Amino acid sequence: MNTQWIKFAWLNTLRNRRRSAVTVAIAALGTAAILLAGGFALFTYESLAEASARTTGHLIVARAEQFDTDEDTPLQHGLEHLDQVRAQLLADPAVRQVLPRVEFSGLISNGDKSTVMMATGIDPDAEFAIKGPFLTMTAGKVMTQQARQSVMLGDGLARSLKARPGSNLTLLASTTEGVLNALDVTVTGVFSTGIPDVDKRLVYTDVETAQKLLATTRVSSLGVFLDRMASTEPAQARLSALLPELKTRTWLDQAVFYRSVRDLYNRIFGALGLIIGVIVVFVVTNAMAMAVIERTREIGTLRALGTLPEQLTRTFALEGMVMGGMGALLGAMVALSVSVALLIWPVQMPPPPGRSTGYPLQISLDIPLYLGTLTAMVLLTMLASALVARRTVRQPIVDALAHV
Amino acid sequence: MSTPTLSLSGLHKTYHLGLHTVPALQGVDLALAPGEMLALTGPSGSGKSTVLNLAGLIDTPDAGEVHLEGHCVSRLSAAQATLVRRDAIGFVFQGFNLVPVMTVADNVDYPLFIAGVPARERRQRVGAMLEAVGLLDHAAHLPDALSGGQRQRVAIARALIKNPRLVIADEPTASLDSHTAEQVLDLMREQGHRQGAAFLIATHDARLVRRCDRIITLRDGLIVQQAEEGLTA
Repeated sequence: MNTQWIKFAWLNTLRNRRRSAVTVAIAALGTAAILLAGGFALFTYESLAEASARTTGHLIVARAEQFDTDEDTPLQHGLEHLDQVRAQLLADPAVRQVLPRVEFSGLISNGDKSTVMMATGIDPDAEFAIKGPFLTMTAGKVMTQQARQSVMLGDGLARSLKARPGSNLTLLASTTEGVLNALDVTVTGVFSTGIPDVDKRLVYTDVETAQKLLATTRVSSLGVFLDRMASTEPAQARLSALLPELKTRTWLDQAVFYRSVRDLYNRIFGALGLIIGVIVVFVVTNAMAMAVIERTREIGTLRALGTLPEQLTRTFALEGMVMGGMGALLGAMVALSVSVALLIWPVQMPPPPGRSTGYPLQISLDIPLYLGTLTAMVLLTMLASALVARRTVRQPIVDALAHV
Repeated sequence: MSTPTLSLSGLHKTYHLGLHTVPALQGVDLALAPGEMLALTGPSGSGKSTVLNLAGLIDTPDAGEVHLEGHCVSRLSAAQATLVRRDAIGFVFQGFNLVPVMTVADNVDYPLFIAGVPARERRQRVGAMLEAVGLLDHAAHLPDALSGGQRQRVAIARALIKNPRLVIADEPTASLDSHTAEQVLDLMREQGHRQGAAFLIATHDARLVRRCDRIITLRDGLIVQQAEEGLTA
């Protein structure tokens, strides 16, 4: 396409500078709003995905019944021959660590008071080494492998049992044989997951203590930690082939909260984007409609001189492109500036519903999001302009020339 | 005898205004030779503008035919008519109708640009045409910076830049003072004759009429008088 058409489009946008400036500003605001909202949603998805994968492992290996059916007795569907399976998994080049996990429920008592607990037996040294500080310690310290028969309590549970680091408690649970068993443990630390309802029930102990309480050598599942998120699906395929008698699920299969948030945010931000798009289209349509009316006589002249309607429609579409493009670029710069500013001057968001801790407000800089939004904004403004102009450029030339 | 540049035969045109029908042309025949300058005169509503519109292919007749250099052009599609206008017909409007955001040079260049003439050739032709109409020094000016006479000279340059066979001019001197009108008329004659373009001019201006080769007077959509007029210029 000849650049002369773009020059005409640019000159036409300068006819009514105030109107063009308003149109550009609306396109810029719309673009910035979409990029900021989209960047925030992406940051949330990335954070939740990482948190989910860090909690369960990128892959979870267990017997199929462990995922699909309820147990009659604790660890009924648990994994045996742990060392053998673990060695097979660790042989995969993408696997960094394999962490056993024993999940059980029961009662926890301080002698005077008993309450329900949801407990997880972990390999503490490896767990904290691979996952980093995934819990916020509010008192005491994290467990170590050397500290036998120790537990960490959620802060709600510790408050309920009036327990603190050094306190002695008793765990009560049914063994794999269905017999009630009890075990005395020492509190090493109190933590918060940020979810008060979870902190009222959650107990971490080491795998050996959990197995001793449940009188078993089984574990519920193995959490497989990979070198990076992107390795998840290929590794799942490889490990499923390697261990056909077991089932390998991804963190995403287990991440109900992540999927719910993503689904909710997609709808909210999708609707927001749609509304912003409609507003931009209305503003551009309004501006271009005024421009077309004002230039009806000129359109008639240009048609008389031999300009094809398609050429005039294209000129108006290019005007839309110039304004939409400028607005989109301006909006992208605003969004980029805000994103960088939030990294330099962090802003803390209030705790979400059901949580006790806030989180830093950050906006992801996602190149496909930027390119997609800019392209959509330019196309929308071009389309809106072309549609508005289409009828006028095709009206009889005599009528257009007679327009006052 | 050479083929006329423009030939109108049996042109009829009726406008429908609500419940009323207004017969604008009721059988107009005329022919315009190459290089000829023909003045259409007559009172308002006599059909002058309608003849210009039909001859300029910006409207279509209800009946009758328009021939341009022997080719019937009154039954062309809208797109075909546009291409004929682009290549063969120049327009000069009473109100100049220049594009206000384009410079003088860009306005004159526009017909060549849409015709796809290469940029280098366009620059040469625009420069030559602006020099011919005495506006080379104003090439970079916007139309708003020009006087009425200068603007009409730009409009004439725009009409003639593509070497049209026919120039349609609607009251080209109506917005100009006497002295400027004389200059514009001289320019039209000089440039038109140089290029061999035929001029079909609707006018009430006696000065312009006197300079035309032939005068046709219309009344109520019919030609009521034809006269050969000697040039005074």
